[in-house]
Amino acid sequence: MKYFALAIPALFLALFLFALVRKIRLYDCFTEGVKEAVPLVLSVFPYLAAMLMLSELFERSGLSAALTSALAPAFRLLGIPPEIAKLVLLKPFSGSGSTALLSEILAQYGADSYIARCACAAYGSAETVFYISAVYFAGCARKSLIKPITIALFSNFSSVILGCLLCRVL
Amino acid sequence: MNAVFAAVFVVSAALFLLSDPEAFLPALLAGSEKAATLSLSLLSAYCVWLGFFKVLEKSGLSQKLSRLVFPAARRLFRSDDREALTLASQNLSANLLGLPGAPTPLGIKAVKRFEKSGNRYASDMLFVLNATSLQLLPTTVIALRVAAGSAAAADIVLPTLIATLFSTLCGVFLLRLFSKTPPHSRKTPPRPRKMRARLHG
Repeated sequence: MKYFALAIPALFLALFLFALVRKIRLYDCFTEGVKEAVPLVLSVFPYLAAMLMLSELFERSGLSAALTSALAPAFRLLGIPPEIAKLVLLKPFSGSGSTALLSEILAQYGADSYIARCACAAYGSAETVFYISAVYFAGCARKSLIKPITIALFSNFSSVILGCLLCRVL
Repeated sequence: MNAVFAAVFVVSAALFLLSDPEAFLPALLAGSEKAATLSLSLLSAYCVWLGFFKVLEKSGLSQKLSRLVFPAARRLFRSDDREALTLASQNLSANLLGLPGAPTPLGIKAVKRFEKSGNRYASDMLFVLNATSLQLLPTTVIALRVAAGSAAAADIVLPTLIATLFSTLCGVFLLRLFSKTPPHSRKTPPRPRKMRARLHG
């Protein structure tokens, strides 16, 4: 893990030294880049807000719990422990929500239990599909994102199945 | 997206109406509050990385690096837009390195450029790659396991890595399977890509 922490400062150092050798006006150049940050956040904000409100509704209304219990038998059939079904359902919507849920699962079942390991594999191999689609396609005049979203959801879900299987073997 | 938003919103609102109408507004407000705080932390991350990437671009290093991956990126995204491909490949490398907050601004810019030139396949591909997780080391998971007192926090790395590799490959494969080659890439001189296009098209 230690060498990994070195990577980021080393990256900055190498780049800035290279830029200095190339006689780049570092301060002017860096601030020019920073200037783009505010418009970028503003362009993403409406989609972010709608998405997060939706994920909050999804969780607090009990819809997520209802879906979890409805899907638990199917999940069990696919080798996914029903205890982590909620995590699998929440992950596409909310990164922070699923992180909180993962630490709950770790605390409840013990970090080295089979369920916790499955939860970790499910968390690590899946991504926040809806959140990413909201941000990446922010402001694009696309009518339908069904194809990429379905493909991403399907791939993530099959990797959860695979992850749970691997946790049993490895 | 519109369908998902409408469906989840309507069903959740109906559930609130039946069970706990007073909790409806607080839930919405909690969501928007999260958006506000998240935007601020995104803003700070973007400041750092957009500054970094501007230096990378102006120093000429970005062009040098992108020349290395250009042939592969061109095939992967079926695009000849040099700038968009540079952005996209930087997005992928930032993902692989797990630099927090760095991939997003690059990805947004790349998707905008791809969409402008009408290359939906490329923006779909970039999205699928990002949405199937490319991170090599699941640092968050390891940190959480250490915090929960795991005896071997890193033993999750191998299954996670295999699973995430599988999801990415699966996503790329499915997208290729269900996509037609964009017409403008047919203008380029014949290369093996054309055969594949015919196979899948």
